[in-house]
Amino acid sequence: MECTRIYCIHDHAVTFEFAEIISEAINIHVIALKNYIDVHPFKGFIESVPAYSSLTVYFSDTINKDEVVDIIQLYNKQLKTHNPQATTDNSEQSSSTKIIPVCYDLGEDLSSVAKQLNITKEKIIALHCNQTFRVYTIGFTPGFPYMGTLPAGLHLPRKQTPALHIAPGSVAIAGNQTGIYPTASPGGWHIIGRTPIKMFDKKREPSCFLQPGDVVQFNSISTKEFNQYK
Amino acid sequence: MSITLIKPGWACSVQDLGRWGYQEFGIPLSGAMDVNAAMMANRICGNEDGEALLECTLHGTEIQLNETAIFSFTGGGAIATVNGQPVTFNKQIKAVGGSTIKLHPSPFGCRTYIAFAGGLKVNRELGSCSTYIAADIGGCNGSNLESGDLIELKKIAPKQKMENITISAAGFGSSNWKAIAPELPHVNDLVRIKCYEGPEWNLFDDASKHALFNTPFTIGQHANRMGFQLEGTRLTKKENKEMISSAVTKGIVQVTHQGTPIILMADAQTIGGYPRIGRIFNDDIHLLAQCRPGMKIQLVSI
Repeated sequence: MECTRIYCIHDHAVTFEFAEIISEAINIHVIALKNYIDVHPFKGFIESVPAYSSLTVYFSDTINKDEVVDIIQLYNKQLKTHNPQATTDNSEQSSSTKIIPVCYDLGEDLSSVAKQLNITKEKIIALHCNQTFRVYTIGFTPGFPYMGTLPAGLHLPRKQTPALHIAPGSVAIAGNQTGIYPTASPGGWHIIGRTPIKMFDKKREPSCFLQPGDVVQFNSISTKEFNQYK
Repeated sequence: MSITLIKPGWACSVQDLGRWGYQEFGIPLSGAMDVNAAMMANRICGNEDGEALLECTLHGTEIQLNETAIFSFTGGGAIATVNGQPVTFNKQIKAVGGSTIKLHPSPFGCRTYIAFAGGLKVNRELGSCSTYIAADIGGCNGSNLESGDLIELKKIAPKQKMENITISAAGFGSSNWKAIAPELPHVNDLVRIKCYEGPEWNLFDDASKHALFNTPFTIGQHANRMGFQLEGTRLTKKENKEMISSAVTKGIVQVTHQGTPIILMADAQTIGGYPRIGRIFNDDIHLLAQCRPGMKIQLVSI
């Protein structure tokens, strides 16, 4: 798979973009390239951050950006040669579906989302629960899973102004993505529910509840069930 | 050897050079906002660059030394006193046990770093001592320091070169040399910050591109370790295109749907979905860290 765009986000971080769409095949390639770099770290490599359709590589000042680009381009070619089955191999590994209970009554933006989409709250819950989602990447805050893809009926742009305080466990939507805020933080997504599951726990191993590549299904619960959750 | 925090002031936290290697789990880099000043504070005390130290925002911090200690102040945002006497920044200072350090208001800078020779004895969490309060990671219990917090100091290693400092009747003394530090911005200055065009530069209309580099912006009240919201010209896109989230880091200038630019700082999220109109020149992130809410900045194209 060829890079469509290469750009810096920092003097010591370069992003390799493979597409400007959300695609399972591209995300699998991004994660395969990340794993390939981890197995073949180069001098000056610090870490890499996989996103939906791009990989960002952080490096030290012992190497310059052009050298990093050359190495990653080479790795990207080698990945194709050495591991042409990467796509199918990874799909077979994909984990069993993880069920995430969500109390939609605690979604502070559910009414405004219903109004903006011109559908009922019940319809939103049904659309959100009746399919599975792929975890494309973890980011934004510790353990925040970016999941896709939402059905067209739930697409809504991010808020004009980010909310400054979002409660931990808030389940949110934006564009064709859905996610869960693990910790109290600001954020621009629409909150449609809340899960009692801790997405991030620094004392747990692994500390993130979800990993890239996981398959998730939401399950609607009542406020009573939410409060009874351990 | 230990110190006790009498008053935290505006904000006081333990930081080092950041939590590298965990961004793929969504864990921000954190670390000192003004990395250069933090490294300088450690070097003045003969520490390694990455030793844990205190980052104090503006003034109000009050610390008691429980035994004789060697330390340094770098950065800015405050005037420092030891036992009520003003002391110079960027010097090695030695004070006897029972001494009190205080930070008083100053119109220059925003963040003071206090390093102690040997370093702070703070547990590493996920590879770093840096405090990241949003997820309770690092520092003292994952939070900013509070009145009464006691922090142990590590022993000074034999290889660390300490000055032969004479202690005055006031209970302290300082080195006869001073490290050279960059000039600090004054609250009334228009601070020039060098900036590159960002990955989504071309998504913005010509008026917004022009405004970014030709009109001043004010650092808003929502300015913290995560990012600085800027007040000024609203920046608008040529077309309303929803982006696919990808990696962001400190120095990125992203623009909300309302047109407000936000400069991401040390506790920046690892992934973001707002268009990135610019990115700050790395060495000017330190200068920006010394600017406080209400100050005016001018982004300069490079």
